[in-house]
Amino acid sequence: MEYIGEHLLAGIIGNFFVSIAIAFGLLSTVAYFLAEVKKDEAWRKLGRIGFWGHSAGVLGIVITLFMMIFNQYFEYHYVWQHSSSDMPLRYIFSCFWEGQEGSFILWMFWHVVLGNILIFVAKYWENAVMTVFASVQVILASMLLGIYIFEYKLGSNPFTVLLRDHPDFADLPIFTIADYTANLDGRGLNPLLQNYWMTIHPPTLFLGFASTLVPFAYAIAALWKREYISWVKPALPWTFFGIGILGVGILMGGAWAYEALSFGGFWAWDPVENASLVPWLTMVSAGHLMLIQRKKGTSVLSLFIFTALTFCLILYSTFLTRSGVLGDSSVHAFTDLGMSGQLLFYLVFYVILSIFLIAKHARHFPNANKEESIWSREFWMFIGALFLFISSFQIIFSTSFPVINKVFGTNFAQSAERIEYYNKWQMPLAIIIALIVAIGQFLKYKDTKPSELLKNLSISLVLSLIITVATAVVMNIINPFVIALLFTSALAITANLDYWIRILSGKLRLAGPSIAHVGFGMILLGALISTSQSDVISQNTSLYDVSILGEDFNNNENILLMKDDTLMMGDYFVSYRGKRKDGIFIHYTVDYMQSNSEGKLETIFSLYPFVQLNPRMGNVAEPYTKHYLDQDVYTHITYAELEERSNEAKTEEHSVQLGDTIFAKNSFLVLDSLNRQPNKERVGLTESDLVLGAKFTVYDVETQARLIEPMFVIRDRSFSFSVPDSIPDLGIKLSFNGIDPETASFKFELEEKAPKQNEFIVMKAIVFPGINVLWIGIIVMGLGTFLAVFNRARRKN
Amino acid sequence: MKKTHITLVVLIAVVVAVMIGAINDSSSYANFEQAFSNPGEEFHVVGKLAKDQEMVYDPLTNPDLFTFHMTDNLGEEHKVILHKSKPQDFERSEQIVLIGSAENGEFHANEILMKCPSKYTDGEVKTKEQASF
Repeated sequence: MEYIGEHLLAGIIGNFFVSIAIAFGLLSTVAYFLAEVKKDEAWRKLGRIGFWGHSAGVLGIVITLFMMIFNQYFEYHYVWQHSSSDMPLRYIFSCFWEGQEGSFILWMFWHVVLGNILIFVAKYWENAVMTVFASVQVILASMLLGIYIFEYKLGSNPFTVLLRDHPDFADLPIFTIADYTANLDGRGLNPLLQNYWMTIHPPTLFLGFASTLVPFAYAIAALWKREYISWVKPALPWTFFGIGILGVGILMGGAWAYEALSFGGFWAWDPVENASLVPWLTMVSAGHLMLIQRKKGTSVLSLFIFTALTFCLILYSTFLTRSGVLGDSSVHAFTDLGMSGQLLFYLVFYVILSIFLIAKHARHFPNANKEESIWSREFWMFIGALFLFISSFQIIFSTSFPVINKVFGTNFAQSAERIEYYNKWQMPLAIIIALIVAIGQFLKYKDTKPSELLKNLSISLVLSLIITVATAVVMNIINPFVIALLFTSALAITANLDYWIRILSGKLRLAGPSIAHVGFGMILLGALISTSQSDVISQNTSLYDVSILGEDFNNNENILLMKDDTLMMGDYFVSYRGKRKDGIFIHYTVDYMQSNSEGKLETIFSLYPFVQLNPRMGNVAEPYTKHYLDQDVYTHITYAELEERSNEAKTEEHSVQLGDTIFAKNSFLVLDSLNRQPNKERVGLTESDLVLGAKFTVYDVETQARLIEPMFVIRDRSFSFSVPDSIPDLGIKLSFNGIDPETASFKFELEEKAPKQNEFIVMKAIVFPGINVLWIGIIVMGLGTFLAVFNRARRKN
Repeated sequence: MKKTHITLVVLIAVVVAVMIGAINDSSSYANFEQAFSNPGEEFHVVGKLAKDQEMVYDPLTNPDLFTFHMTDNLGEEHKVILHKSKPQDFERSEQIVLIGSAENGEFHANEILMKCPSKYTDGEVKTKEQASF
């Protein structure tokens, strides 16, 4: 069959760019490798040309895929799968990187950007570093191939045509039409990803991922060139750049989760979240070990280990989230695209390469003869790095249960109290790490007098003690771990501020590290207060006692609100006011009220949590949050009737005589008399109509008796009909359908609607105090880190 | 002993402690038979919703209580009491993972994970006419 209207050229162009990217990537790898081995300027030039060709290929892939989504070429599987014609244009970027292929492209794109910068700044290191860079790019580009090599599928191609390359779809009836493209529509973007954070979070996160390659490439280059020290200087600013970007990227994901997901919080220790947090922790370790190395010349071995570990953990997290191994343990892992073998191969390859190279060269590493003093900055930085390692190990080990089960045939599963479990381990570690962050800057390299340290810290100690006691009293905190972390994170903030103001005299040029540490302290403090003191105010206030089922099962956190009823909830009175359908969204209006000075309830604010209807991927409830400076009130729907209640009427026929009674659900109707001269005009009948009215008295429980009069009409002596009468608030409608001469009875039809039941919603509301400290902390830490990177990169010599 | 060595020994000890702690705190996958022979112990049970059985969610009496029946992978069926509100699109679930424990002949779940029909394999194609809301 000849199809018309397909845009097959776009796919050909896309695949052409994939080939370009791989071919030039290979060329670049080989040329740079030879340039390094032969120290030949000509090979270096070829290496550059190769990388530029590769860059053009990657840009071509990006533009082609973007244009395909923009122009809605739904005949392409990727476009069809991730977008639809009714999708707002602002989500076009989210569509681009929703799928695995798109996110690989995004990752490659950032490598291209970083690689091109390195070509110009790496100078002496260019050949070796770019060999590693280009080889990684070839591997990533191979993920887009989607070709079979000996029955093994290599990569997943984003330019496949639904009809031609996906046999499952070829038999569908739509493909029997020649111009099927005119009618084909995409499946659309996952409703959870239709959020503005999804436009900015993935590129930031992937830039963070990409930036781990730079120190790794330098480390491998250093081992290759047997220059174990000099690589640290150029790699250091890159490492801290990565720390800043990846840190901000991870927490942007937290902001998205807080805003768009309904688990209630910004962090749930989900495997996918953990998989990106862990490399960040090890990268922070690596960065600080680099600082030690620069100052003291020690820690070379651990520096190599942590740098390689960070990159390998990025690959591992790629494997975890994309191989399908997490399966049902994560809410937002990708599904398997049959690339798990390939991903595992790359992971193992780089792990073995790193171990092999480090082990081979370790005995040549310069060794410090002198032991470090206990009162030196480098000692505590090193200890801090180790604690970060323990923290990351704890997270990744527990997250890896599905992998461990696969490898060893065990049967471990994460406990239902996942958040409590992780917090239990991470809290003590965070207490120590915050303490080290607090004292670190006041310690001098080599040695510090303990008395001097104490003197320097005294202001901050007093200040944080006051903050801790005040917070603990106001918020009624008694948990010793919470109090301890409250104290050390407050100390991390005050001590670093103090150091900046007093020791650095507030100079901005040197302030980077201090500001970043203040931000880190704020993140810890904000996370601590907002999670430990969060208060589920939507308690179950129904009469049903759930505690008879056992203490553990008292999951008492949803509230049922009848429409227009007012219930007390925390410091507020809440009332559900109704719902409003707006396209695919149903917004539920919930008023939060407090009593004013006159003792009357006054609406303080209204929240509009909503449900996004998506018949294919499932409806999604999204929260709505009222932000205050000191706290957030977070509300989301856990259960609601989505459609208007179907209020179908029931009809019943009755045959009665004068004086008889018809019984309805909430009332009864007595046939009092017949009326031969009813008011015809009132109901729009003409003079010539023959009309018989039936007068009923209707009694119900609450109101007085009321009269209704349905009529039986014969028009033109040829056909008959009824003019019914009704009482809307009782939901009854009575028609007079005729006379039965044999039994001398009258036929009526009673139509009765179910009495109107009130609409309701079930919702959950949580108060998060101090969460703004966390968000501000992220910005402060990001700014501080970039300031530090900027200043260090500026110090050229 | 040098400080480096002490640090290394302590580090290894802590790493081992973390592993033991993680395993101690872990739960495990099981079927209904295992869960009901160890009442009170937490398990993950994988199964399917028994669609022919009654599902009860009456938010008017208790919004945090939802009961249904689940058949585990070995075909054993039990009544499940979920101490949460009824999940959205529950009827559409293809596979359920319950986290909870057996008690008095019923399975009490604190947490539920659902797998909905795969987004990638079902061969239904939407046309533009249907797409309009």
